[in-house]
Amino acid sequence: MAGAAILELKNLSKSFGPIRAVDDLTFEIHEGEIFGLLGPNGAGKTTTVNMAAGLIEPDGGSVSLRGGGLPADPATRSCIGMAPQALAVYDALSGEENLKFFGTLQGLRGKRLRERVAWALEFVDLVGREKDRVKTYSGGMKRRLNLAAALLHEPPLLLLDEPTVGVDPQSRNAIFERITALRDDGRAVLYTTHYMEEAQRLCDRVGIMDHGRLLALDKVEELIRTHGGTSVIHVDRGRGEERIETDDPMGELVKMHAEGKVLTFRVDSPDLECVFLNLTGRHLRDD
Amino acid sequence: MNPILALAAKDLRILMRDKTGFFFSLIWPLLLAVLFGTIFGGGGDGGGTIPIIVVDEDGTDASRAFLARLEAAPELEVTAGTRTEAVDEVRRGKKSAFVVIKRGFGEAGENPFWGEPPTVELGADPARGAEAGMIEGILMKYASERLKDFFANTTLQQESIAEAKRAVREADDMDPGLRSRFEGFFGALDDLLRETDNLQEADTANAFGNGLGGFTPLEVEQAEIIVERRWPTNAYAISFPQGIAWGLIGVAAGFGISLVSERTRGTLMRLQTAPISRTAILAGKALACFTTTVTLSFVLLIVGRLIFGLRPSSVGMAAFAVVSSAVAFAGIMMLLSVLGKTEQAAGGIGWAVLIMLSMFGGGMIPLFVLPGWMRTVSHVSPVKWSILALEGAVWRQFSFMEMLLPCGILIAVGVVCFAIGARAFDWVQRS
Ligand SMILES: Nc1ncnc2c1ncn2[C@@H]1O[C@H](COP(=O)(O)OP(=O)(O)OP(=O)(O)O)[C@@H](O)[C@H]1O
Ligand SMILES: [Mg+2]
Repeated sequence: MAGAAILELKNLSKSFGPIRAVDDLTFEIHEGEIFGLLGPNGAGKTTTVNMAAGLIEPDGGSVSLRGGGLPADPATRSCIGMAPQALAVYDALSGEENLKFFGTLQGLRGKRLRERVAWALEFVDLVGREKDRVKTYSGGMKRRLNLAAALLHEPPLLLLDEPTVGVDPQSRNAIFERITALRDDGRAVLYTTHYMEEAQRLCDRVGIMDHGRLLALDKVEELIRTHGGTSVIHVDRGRGEERIETDDPMGELVKMHAEGKVLTFRVDSPDLECVFLNLTGRHLRDD
Repeated sequence: MNPILALAAKDLRILMRDKTGFFFSLIWPLLLAVLFGTIFGGGGDGGGTIPIIVVDEDGTDASRAFLARLEAAPELEVTAGTRTEAVDEVRRGKKSAFVVIKRGFGEAGENPFWGEPPTVELGADPARGAEAGMIEGILMKYASERLKDFFANTTLQQESIAEAKRAVREADDMDPGLRSRFEGFFGALDDLLRETDNLQEADTANAFGNGLGGFTPLEVEQAEIIVERRWPTNAYAISFPQGIAWGLIGVAAGFGISLVSERTRGTLMRLQTAPISRTAILAGKALACFTTTVTLSFVLLIVGRLIFGLRPSSVGMAAFAVVSSAVAFAGIMMLLSVLGKTEQAAGGIGWAVLIMLSMFGGGMIPLFVLPGWMRTVSHVSPVKWSILALEGAVWRQFSFMEMLLPCGILIAVGVVCFAIGARAFDWVQRS
């Protein structure tokens, strides 16, 4: 396990009228790890993040930052860098003006502010467009600026709520690399997403959420091992496609090859999608 | 930078870039002020004749002739009266100015080149500075015409000088030294008269202005007069405070909506995760609103002062009225921002409320022409107190004590609305 716990959520609950958005949620995030919160629309990811940032008061349970600090306390809050799901930037200002403004609120001044703004623009690859008004940005560019604003003050805890929705694969890959670098630097990241590929690729640990509840929480490979079920081999041995479930696809294939001619084969290893399916009986995505 | 200042600066920058917002918070109030002022008669007597009252204290032929000249003047509407009547009428705003033709006027006029020039006293309403200047110009013009007539008679003068020269020459018993001095003097006088003959060709006013250096055909003494204000000096004095009130309303509604949109668009979230208090966030918005309304008010007052004849009693009083109004509307802005959950809802409800307040507060039709019951109802409208405070500075000539009532109410309204709004803001956010 990575360093000390920086965010601890204990038995957190929140209802909106009859909807139980978050239900008895407990987990902690440590320095130097990327923690993924994976779940379908309405699972309660945003509500969880907002409670962690002190934006929403939980109905029950507690949030503590850096071993005891409350997010309601402005001083404690400065350890959080948040990229909300809603694009929290000003359209009428340029990208640079947005970052300067948010940096100022975080207490950055003068040369340090300029350096951090330049660094953040570089981080999200918006150099060259920083003087343009945000309203002239594409959706993905706005999303990247939204992320940049969370990083200005070098917070030890990043709360990133679907930070790469609508960002093209190339920029997304670049951002992943940089987030990983921040993690290696000792930063803690809470990363919400409903893309299982993203969670699988980026996150050290993943919590799977549905209907406000945390169904499973572990390292990606552990989750797959315990909840992913068997691998599936689709094989054609001259009698049409056969579907064979196995825990040891390599061994099975070697055996089939020894038995006779294998025309085509495909192995589906279990992934987080399978984990979700096995846990909920539903697919994470329709496609 | 202090976070509150940074927040306000951000909002002001956004406002400057929003053409519609900028238009409604600055240009529109100015247009309203000018438009309504012009529709309701503009500078009052502008274009028409200026009503003055003339007192003839001299009672000589010359003073009567000057009075007759003024009565015949197309620019003026002259009544004659006593000094008491004159002062009274100007004080009560019935006449723009009084002119007293002072004792010794006729005598002084006979000797245009030496002694004191003929003197009149001008008592003009200080709020009508432009008109006072015009009256002075008109008086000068007719006084100059009087002199012109005098010079038109130079042939007559020259004959009398010739006669005098002859008398000197024929006086055998005169000391030769003295005689030669007299001859020199008459010669110079002759030259001067011939010279002025030529001057007649030129425009008289110019001749006095330039040719004869500092020579004044008439001395105009300014009489101090305190005018009781029961009526505004001109229609702009009504329309500019109203325009400012509309500006206050527009700005309050605009910033109220912008606060709602910070909430709906998510930027508020980011502000709230910054290490600043919620009060600081709201104070930043209020400061931006305050700065905008103060700027708007001063722009209108300065334009009104420079172009439309507004005469605020003092910068201090105007500032007091402006600042109190700005405080009130910054608070009202806070309250508006919690009236609706979406920009549309807050905007719709906000404007409806503000237009009601404006209607009952004299923002559309001046209070003093509204029926009595509406004037009573108007007490609940901060627009009324704002207009009253502004009018107190612009034409009612309120003393500091008189200003305290409307300004005190405005500041109280601002503080209370801000407090309620800030409370409700939390509540709206949680629900
Ligand atoms: N302010 C609110 N008022 C009422 N219901 C809410 C509110 N915020 C969230 N909810 C409800 O709470 C549940 C969880 O919502 P939340 O936004 O946390 O989901 P999410 O996992 O972030 O979904 P998505 O992937 O779509 O962002 C949903 O059913 C949602 O309708
Ligand atoms: Mg969400």
